[in-house]
Amino acid sequence: MTAVAPQPTGSSIRTSKRTEILEARPVNLDGFVEEWPEKGLVAMESDYDPQPSVRVEDGRIVELDGRTRDRFDFMDTFIADHAIDVETCEEAMAVPSVEIARMIVDPRTSRADVVAVGRGLTPAKILDVVKLMNVVEIMMGIQKTRSRRTPANQAHSTSAKDNPIQVAADAAEGAVRGFAELETTLGVVRYAPLVAIGLQVGGQVGRGGTLTQCALEEATELDLGMRGITAYAETISIYGTESVFVDGDVTPWSKAFLASAYASRGIKMRFTSGTGSEVQMGNAEGRSMLYLEIRCILMARGAGVQGLQNGSISCIGVPGAMPGGIRAVAAENLVASWMDLECASGNDQSFSHSPMRRTSRLLPQMLPGTDFVCSGYSAVPNKDNMFAGSNLETDDYDDWNVIQRDMQVDGGLRHVREDVILQVRNKAARAMQALFVELDLPPITDEEVEAATYANSSDDYPDRDVLADLEGARSVMERGITGLDLVRFLERAGFGDVAENYLKVLRQRVSGDLLQTAAVLTADFVPLAAINDANDYAGPGTGYRLTGERWDELKKLRHVTSAENPEEEVV
Amino acid sequence: MTNNVTELTPADYPLSINRPELLTTPTGKSLDDLTMAAVVAGEITSEDLRISPDTLALQGQLAAAAGRRQLADNFTRASEMTAIPDAEVLAMYNSLRPNASSAAQLEDLASRLESTYSATTCAALVREAAQVYADRNLLAEED
Repeated sequence: MTAVAPQPTGSSIRTSKRTEILEARPVNLDGFVEEWPEKGLVAMESDYDPQPSVRVEDGRIVELDGRTRDRFDFMDTFIADHAIDVETCEEAMAVPSVEIARMIVDPRTSRADVVAVGRGLTPAKILDVVKLMNVVEIMMGIQKTRSRRTPANQAHSTSAKDNPIQVAADAAEGAVRGFAELETTLGVVRYAPLVAIGLQVGGQVGRGGTLTQCALEEATELDLGMRGITAYAETISIYGTESVFVDGDVTPWSKAFLASAYASRGIKMRFTSGTGSEVQMGNAEGRSMLYLEIRCILMARGAGVQGLQNGSISCIGVPGAMPGGIRAVAAENLVASWMDLECASGNDQSFSHSPMRRTSRLLPQMLPGTDFVCSGYSAVPNKDNMFAGSNLETDDYDDWNVIQRDMQVDGGLRHVREDVILQVRNKAARAMQALFVELDLPPITDEEVEAATYANSSDDYPDRDVLADLEGARSVMERGITGLDLVRFLERAGFGDVAENYLKVLRQRVSGDLLQTAAVLTADFVPLAAINDANDYAGPGTGYRLTGERWDELKKLRHVTSAENPEEEVV
Repeated sequence: MTNNVTELTPADYPLSINRPELLTTPTGKSLDDLTMAAVVAGEITSEDLRISPDTLALQGQLAAAAGRRQLADNFTRASEMTAIPDAEVLAMYNSLRPNASSAAQLEDLASRLESTYSATTCAALVREAAQVYADRNLLAEED
């Protein structure tokens, strides 16, 4: 153990004026902790992680990272039997780690070749490779291995009062600003049907083809999906150790079964995992955070799920407190991408008191681009964020748009004129008002519609009769209301274009196109996935480039001075 | 589960745009039948908005063609599961939780998947789980 200096107490010690200023900086409200590798409190460099090894006998992996099959835990078994290509693993494992790391960075090695060698690697070998890479090399890797060519972004739309009108208005604004996916969750779970309806309606008002989900316990989440009230699911947690899996009352086999259940209903789904969850749940089995996360990523691939939300997610405080922790978080996004999974790459949890640190934590995903840079970005003020706050929130919209313009990178958003935002917020609230009449739910007043149009937070809305709403929510479930019913009601209530958008989203589950890796819908309802929009980055001048109409769109900001007349702003 | 079409290639994706003629609902409707007029007329039910096992097989072909064999395997299990009612799918999922089922109960589940739903790959997954759960002491006591 290192010596521990006592915290300075009282005023007897004289400090410099500069120290006083530094002490008062927001970054010093953040928590930082020394490594403790024996307990797994270490980001990615631990002597306690296993050494890479693999051995195949009779077409079966019989040794994995120093363990023989008789000593496998269920993660080892699942990974050996489902995730790793038996035919290629011995050859792939024989390639020196430094060679593989260079393949990832070298633009002349294709994504396909990098993915192919990755299919034969064990968790310890993958860790051995990414440990050789600094954060810029990791970003190079993400740029090349991201599965979808065009980056996108995901938002949270929630309400501290579970107000469905607020959720609808903020979903509409988020959609028109560019989020491809919208996610909600609840304070009071019984409110879920109304809030999920608000998210869906708002999303289809803001931009047709936006996909929505409601993060809840698994049975309700699946139920809302099967009814067509939501379009996809993401909160399907997996873990890096057997003991934490069992504590979570699931196994790799139960989760693989659930993945197929979603696909059998035509519903897009991805798993969720992240560094720090095992140590936070008290059973890291003495392994580094990134080693355990790589086991999660391979488990996800083995289950055949199309994608993964990772990047520490709700545990970001744990790697964030460790030396090299944010590098490890970028590395886990790289590994998910390299393993050919859709990657919704975090940046979704309150992380730091320091604006500088919040931004630096974001750049390893935003600059190279990921399938969803945030998973998600809070499209409501953080005090309304029922996921406990995000790394980005509504106050940051203009900063985000300026960073996109400064760096000429596409973070999935755009500046939208005030009149357009007010129009979609108002329309979303009116659509909800009409829908609540059709559904015989507690009325939404004109005052609430007006509030939704101009609001910032839940404080700006009249309070609703919560008990009446909850009774209405119960009746929506009991009456077996489906997405199809909502389409019919919206059409009947005079919101034909919203109904049409919603119906087109529902029709997608018949085609199954959204089940493919990294699929999203464009505004023209064209499915865009890692098949028809496969990432083709191969060095400078290739891959996704921010040019043309999209670049012109991102040049617009709230205030840009006209070149012809410096007294005017460009609209 | 077989379609009398040639193997799909990545160029066929998205099927909803490039190969809509291959897509039918479990109720035999085409994508073009799923119009707003039909919805308003009450001619469309939730059953008409489900994916068919044949469509999942087609998406499996695309996943395999893109080099994603595990995703293709997932679609194979999913195509088998389309026949299982929602509530039973959830019950089956719950029975695969750790310490939730005995060896005999998991074998019963596997048999039911095979005999009632012809879900052979799902049954294989359940039997594999039963073996691992036995090795890792994650089975419920026999009744």
